[in-house]
Amino acid sequence: MNTVTEKKDIIRKYIIESTFDDVEKIKDDTLIFEEGILDSMGLLFLIEFLNEEFKINTSDEELVAENFQSINSILTFIESKM
Amino acid sequence: MKSTRKPFSKDILHIDNIEAVCNDIITKLRTDVSKKLQRRGAVIGISGGIDSSVCMALSALAFGPKKVTAIMLPEQDSSDDSKMLAKKLATKFGVTETLIEDITKALDGFGCYKRRDEAIARVITNFNPEVDKAKIEIKQDVASNLPPAFSITVIKPDGEVISKLLPVKEYLQIVASTNFKQRSRMSMLYYHAERLHYAVIGTPNKHEVEQGFFVKYGDGGADVMPIGHLYKTQVYQIAKYIGIPQEIIDRTPTTDTYTAEQTQEDFFYQMPFESMDLIWYGWENDYPADEVGKVMGRTTKDIENIYRNFERKRKTTAYLRMRPIF
Repeated sequence: MNTVTEKKDIIRKYIIESTFDDVEKIKDDTLIFEEGILDSMGLLFLIEFLNEEFKINTSDEELVAENFQSINSILTFIESKM
Repeated sequence: MKSTRKPFSKDILHIDNIEAVCNDIITKLRTDVSKKLQRRGAVIGISGGIDSSVCMALSALAFGPKKVTAIMLPEQDSSDDSKMLAKKLATKFGVTETLIEDITKALDGFGCYKRRDEAIARVITNFNPEVDKAKIEIKQDVASNLPPAFSITVIKPDGEVISKLLPVKEYLQIVASTNFKQRSRMSMLYYHAERLHYAVIGTPNKHEVEQGFFVKYGDGGADVMPIGHLYKTQVYQIAKYIGIPQEIIDRTPTTDTYTAEQTQEDFFYQMPFESMDLIWYGWENDYPADEVGKVMGRTTKDIENIYRNFERKRKTTAYLRMRPIF
């Protein structure tokens, strides 16, 4: 079982690898969609990644900013589903 | 310096001199087709929808109805109304060269339906393409500050509705498969255009062009786009002025792409045209969100989120508007 820090690093590594963004730019509370780091296709690929990596299924109703806006939000969301 | 800009209002997009605007489009069409493109007439795909109807009518007025070939390009999922309305339109504007090219067999050859249905069945396992209807749609509110994601909705013959968020692989496969429709239509339009030495008239309006609601090298593949600079409400204003049949004006804009009934609002825009036109204008012309919000009866935060949604759509779809890079 990964620790909270490990999970955050896995998510951050995924975002960096898929966007080629600077590691320094993506903090735990960076608003990844509002700041244009990920776009709508980026969201779909992120959902796929969370499914493959953490076995998390996302429903229509869960597709809200509170669950995806930052690494912190994503972590809270996946922890609530595990 | 004091700004001379008009205050934001619900009438801000109303065309005051409609005759002059129509004449400008007609003159430009003539110049573009005969002088720049050096073609002797126009080929246009007509669907019975408002945009293609206005473009066909403007082309008939620009070149004369004898130099316009209007082509209906139905396939197995097209609505029967489309054909009837398209025929009525051609008759009204005196376009006698109307053809029906059914593209179902071509689409079958490409595996369009099979590839699409396979992807749907991976998400909705009891999907039966023989009897069920299906469509994809965006369910989130346009003012959400998360990018939109598509869901698949299947409607069973007994009315049961099953809807699920589409995983990325299935979403991309469904879109890629259905895009065969627009690309096959484009190929057929160019066949006739080349046969006649005519130009292909594209029908996208300003929203379709700028928000990327078109298929690259599909309905985005054309020689001229006479209404590409017009908001949807302005297209309606022109439609009324030039006498487009009322049934076409009254019809809800649909995609006519999926088997289940699907409005363009459900599929892509997430709000009615009247509101979208005005808020887009506000965004494009840097009107403050609070000024637009007051007129539109929405909160400043809502308008800010909608502005962000527009910005995202334009950015995400920039690839569609790009020419090949070399």
